Amino acid sequence: MDRDKLFDSVQEIFRDIFDEENLIIQEKTNSDSIEEWDSLNHINLVSAIEKEFKIKFALGELMALRDVGSMIDLMIEKLNKI
Amino acid sequence: MKKYKFSDIKVGLSESFEVRVVPSMMDRFLEISNDVNSLHQDSHYAKEKGFSGRVVYGLLTSSFYSTLVGVYLPGKYCILQGISIQFTKPVYIHDFLKVYGEVSYINEAYKCVDIKSTITNLKGEKVSKATIKVGIIDE
Repeated sequence: MDRDKLFDSVQEIFRDIFDEENLIIQEKTNSDSIEEWDSLNHINLVSAIEKEFKIKFALGELMALRDVGSMIDLMIEKLNKI
Repeated sequence: MKKYKFSDIKVGLSESFEVRVVPSMMDRFLEISNDVNSLHQDSHYAKEKGFSGRVVYGLLTSSFYSTLVGVYLPGKYCILQGISIQFTKPVYIHDFLKVYGEVSYINEAYKCVDIKSTITNLKGEKVSKATIKVGIIDE
């Protein structure tokens, strides 16, 4: 999948989870950038991405993520293996 | 009480139980919530509005979703993280209800699951449905 399209799809998931229809995410967006990005919403984000793209993350992979950009990179890596 | 651990959980695993709504439940819910709305307290008013009698509090019947996850699926090791509920039919006092839940998604990394749940009455009518998110704290 094209990175820009994937980014847009992930942005829609963020908008849904954080209930902010105009939320804009960027490569460097992380949990410090969004006030409501707490541990429960983090689980909700990961769960929503797993369901939408039919991929699974391991805890170690998630712990290594720094920001949205690194999440997208990991997603592309997994989607290319499907 | 069931004691499912995370390793026991599979998509499709289900549990259910039955319960009857009795008048004392309405009294106790009123005492806790102080929801004095006439639809729940005044049968004449409820009938005027087209219902068969006093309507059972939606959040009273929803409390059975708490029982579903806290006692049955997964039971002991459950921690409730979120719930999304839709009410589809009214519940009346003395109704028998079947509460059913089935695991629909497992998050391996964070040891949490989604449980698709329904409550149905004796006629087989779905009175509410819910998606319940729970964590499993077995370690």
